[in-house]
Amino acid sequence: MTQSNFNVKDGQVTSSILDAEQALDNASQAQFDAEKFARYALIGDAMRSQQNQAPCIDITASLADALADEPTYGEKTSGQEFRQENAENKVVALSSWRKPLAQVAIAASVSLVAVLGVSNYSPQEQANSDFPVLQSTPLTGSVSPVSLSSEPALESAEKGLRELQQQRIGALVLEHQRQSRMAHALAQQAQEEKEEQKK
Amino acid sequence: MKWLALLLGVGLSAQVVASDIINAKQLLTDMSSAIQERNFDASFVVVKGKGMEPYRWLHGKVDNSELEILSRQNGAGLEVVRVDNKVTYFEPQTQPYSIETDAIAGPIPEILFGEVGTLASSYDFVLGGKERIADRAAQLVRLVSKDEHKYNYWLWIDIQSALLLKAAYVTQQGEVLEQLQLTHISVTEQPAQPLVELSSKDFPMPLASLAQNDTAQKLQNNWRIGWLPDGFKLLKSDRHKLDLNNELADYFLFSDGLVEFSVFVQRPLSGQRASGALSSGATTVYVHNSGAFDVSVVGKIPTMTAKAIAESVTRPL
Repeated sequence: MTQSNFNVKDGQVTSSILDAEQALDNASQAQFDAEKFARYALIGDAMRSQQNQAPCIDITASLADALADEPTYGEKTSGQEFRQENAENKVVALSSWRKPLAQVAIAASVSLVAVLGVSNYSPQEQANSDFPVLQSTPLTGSVSPVSLSSEPALESAEKGLRELQQQRIGALVLEHQRQSRMAHALAQQAQEEKEEQKK
Repeated sequence: MKWLALLLGVGLSAQVVASDIINAKQLLTDMSSAIQERNFDASFVVVKGKGMEPYRWLHGKVDNSELEILSRQNGAGLEVVRVDNKVTYFEPQTQPYSIETDAIAGPIPEILFGEVGTLASSYDFVLGGKERIADRAAQLVRLVSKDEHKYNYWLWIDIQSALLLKAAYVTQQGEVLEQLQLTHISVTEQPAQPLVELSSKDFPMPLASLAQNDTAQKLQNNWRIGWLPDGFKLLKSDRHKLDLNNELADYFLFSDGLVEFSVFVQRPLSGQRASGALSSGATTVYVHNSGAFDVSVVGKIPTMTAKAIAESVTRPL
């Protein structure tokens, strides 16, 4: 309690020094907080728009503190990967190029769907209005009817289904990409077999 | 006299048309051999609607073996390496794997690296005008679909080096859906350094034989696909789980040589979902809910075609 009281008082003193309501002397310096003073000055500048560039607030120190307390995730897996790669070093030497990119993979597969979702409002689709367009993302800004909000279970089921369908479409597109890689080889194989049968 | 002039005129125009075809086909053949013979380092972008993907493409010959690297430069990345008849795909979160084939399956249809002439049954080769593309003089060649069920494919070929400079999927109405455009290309005497390094590396063994004729026959009887656009042939059919969501699907892969499409037959998602289409660039996804099962068609084909295929899938009687 006393601690917080002191802090408030401390802030008051710093503030009044900034406003030149109090002289900076030996008596007040004891309760003067340089960091706070800088912050107050910055706030004042920003409000009077004296600063041309965006206010620069140093949060690195607090971030570093927060990070130090954070438990480390995934350390074990990366170790495993490393060992695995060691074993296959000869084969997958190329993979070192792409190693840092592995984290993006899931995001990429999700964005695949997102891209599809967004581009379904292409002008071509609008022109062919006889095709119903899958609405894989809810329209933003629309207000849901009151009657719906009284049935949250129905709403969330609807949402879950939409997500499921989005997931499925993403999986289908990815699968088509992968499978069509084999198309050329398969077509050639079929062609060769046909020629052999002719002989 | 009149009919003689007419006959002469018809004869001449027929000849012009004939030489046109030969020219267009010859240009395409020249292009595929140029792509196979030269050492080059190229960058290109693929534009799909509002989306854009940059790629780098290296090709060269080192000690009589043909080497090629294609890599996507944005996002999670994709790297495809070809050493002669072995193509290896590197993707994040998937073990690298190889396929025994002589062309990389990327944004450029593989057929353009090989026997372009085989497309003649489904597409007409038409010579277009000359244009300046990537600061080079280019000749337009159009692959025009013989029916309205497919997209047309336009190619701009460098007159000097016969290399591909630009390509596009175009609808029958002339709307450009997806484009590929070279932004830079340098043709060199010596192959680029990354290619030289490739020859000293080992890659995974190619996957075992791809064709499984017996199972393919069996599965075809499971579903009847009532309608297919002309020229498309079944390459593969099986039943497998999809990678991303582990859902089981009966799968069919069709190709007409230039483009492929996939047909998936799956257990329906619960609830009444309407049938509908999505598209990104030239790729169409059509999901058809036929009550007892869902049929999805994915590929670079018009929505109308995808819809007709999906709706034609029935249980055999």
